Amino acid sequence: MMKGRVMVSVIDDSEAVRESLPDLLRHSGFDADAFSSAEAFLESEAVSKTSCLILDVGLPGMSGPDLHQELLSRGQGIPTIFITAQGDPSLRPRLVARGAVACLFKPFSDTALLDALEAAVEKE
Amino acid sequence: MRNARRDPDPAIGERGLKLIIDTIPALAWSARPDGSAEFFNQHYLDFVGFSAEQARDWGWTAALHPDDAGGLAESWRRIMASGAPGEGEVRLRRYDGEYRWFLYRANPLRDDQGAIVKWYGVNTDIEDRKRAEQELRRSEAFLAQGQRLTHTGSLWWDVSTGEVIWSEGNYRIMDLPTTITPTVDLVMQRVHPEDLPIVRAMLERSTREGATFDLEHRLLMPGGSVKHVRVVLHNVSQSAGQPEFVGAVQDVTAARTAEEALNRAGSELARVARMTTLNALTASIAHEINQPLSGIITNAGTCLRMLDAAVPDIQGARETARRTIRDGNRASEVIARLRALYTKRAFTLESLDLNEAIREVIALSQTDLQRNHIVLQSELAPDLPAVTGDRIQLQQVTLNLLRNASEAMADVQDRQRLMRIRTEREVGDRVRVTVRDAGSGLPLESVGSMFDAFYTTKSGGMGIGLFVCRSIVERHHGRLWAEPNDGPGATFSFSIPRRPADASDAASVLMTA
Repeated sequence: MMKGRVMVSVIDDSEAVRESLPDLLRHSGFDADAFSSAEAFLESEAVSKTSCLILDVGLPGMSGPDLHQELLSRGQGIPTIFITAQGDPSLRPRLVARGAVACLFKPFSDTALLDALEAAVEKE
Repeated sequence: MRNARRDPDPAIGERGLKLIIDTIPALAWSARPDGSAEFFNQHYLDFVGFSAEQARDWGWTAALHPDDAGGLAESWRRIMASGAPGEGEVRLRRYDGEYRWFLYRANPLRDDQGAIVKWYGVNTDIEDRKRAEQELRRSEAFLAQGQRLTHTGSLWWDVSTGEVIWSEGNYRIMDLPTTITPTVDLVMQRVHPEDLPIVRAMLERSTREGATFDLEHRLLMPGGSVKHVRVVLHNVSQSAGQPEFVGAVQDVTAARTAEEALNRAGSELARVARMTTLNALTASIAHEINQPLSGIITNAGTCLRMLDAAVPDIQGARETARRTIRDGNRASEVIARLRALYTKRAFTLESLDLNEAIREVIALSQTDLQRNHIVLQSELAPDLPAVTGDRIQLQQVTLNLLRNASEAMADVQDRQRLMRIRTEREVGDRVRVTVRDAGSGLPLESVGSMFDAFYTTKSGGMGIGLFVCRSIVERHHGRLWAEPNDGPGATFSFSIPRRPADASDAASVLMTA
């Protein structure tokens, strides 16, 4: 697995996720940053540095899928792992069909996330 | 008789007789055997405004109503031909031009050989009777038409003689020919077997006490169809103990059928609405809980990884473990918030008469109970002390228990759907309310789970009822329980202290509300 300079951005309005995920990511050898909204991420410098996005579906304001679409249309597509607390099973195939690497339902295991990250980094 | 008529009473004399004839309040006349008129008394002449000469022979026929002239000639001929006394009705024109109806009667006078020598007649003014008859016919027609349009019938019933009279509309509702003599037994044969107990019970009470009978019930018609009727009987008897009822029956089948369809649609809609709400509720609970759970699992996973590393990161592990606990608390806060959301209504303590509160609930349920053909007996203890509690919430509990009991008896066909509600004083300064039904009884395997939030045996409900009831009763420091009856059905009871044990207790009740 490629490590060190790989930058992963977490975008989730849930504080529990913003606090816990970056620790797991850093412990697993990634660089990590966390944002509470799609807008905050777009305004940051992280857009150009991020190699993989862990993106919540149900964000307030611009939703996860909207952000994913927005980046694609800007030509700045980033491999994306969607995460969601809504548990709607029809969501996963729809998001994967639109180019997402994976869609994980909260709560997910650390191994499931790291497996998805590995797939994302390979994709990049 | 014949002699008296022929020979004037010498005591009265010819003059006296003429005076009588001219004074009697009737139009008197005599005619020859050929029918032509010979004599008219003064009343007659004054009425038609003719002189004796004008009226004589056939002159009087000028006062006949043109429409009656032919008929009169015909019936007068018939009477003369028969030689027997006869009568008929005819309109005569008064001196002022107004026609009035008269009943005329003619008697023949015969000689010793039996030949008719004269006809004597009297005409009586029957205009007012004619008008009354016409009025009566008209109002009968109105009534019949009205009853046909509104699907109603009228009836009269003398309880002591058993005599019953029906209007035509009533025969139509009962689907019986008008030739049949109505009886109470005949009606009872038509009453739907399931409704017989309540009809009998109400009828028995009405005949015993002379009380008004007002009931909606079903009739089972010979073809197997069912009619819904509303029956109202009022006692019009003057003498106590001998009721005499006048009443009306209305066929309300169409309205009831429509209402039932509407209710079915309504309750199905309500069920779907509740399901939809529940789905939305479940989704939002899942969302709220999954967020902290996600944190918990990631933190715990990270914690293990930190401890398992070649150089364990104790400080990091401690931090993630701390966050695991914090997210666990967040999850439990979510649940506490949800619980608060559903017990938001202010809990209002007041001193109240539980009997009165229950009477209101019974009044509210009356239509429902009647529609479900339930006989409710209430035994409310007259010496029940006042209790301190939330009136509305205790009424909700009672209403729920009544409704449950009613629903438990929905499928009962082979016995009376009897429900009994009772209040009583209990030892330890408590009061108890009991609702007993004769329904399907308690499902043995679920007595324990019956009061759980989502327990239900009914397709119609989400089972929130008993759970909410129990929490309300517990808030009153009471308890709610269910027991199977010795016979069919079950008994639900709750018992609450007359007042919260002490002031601080009452305060804590308010705090948790």
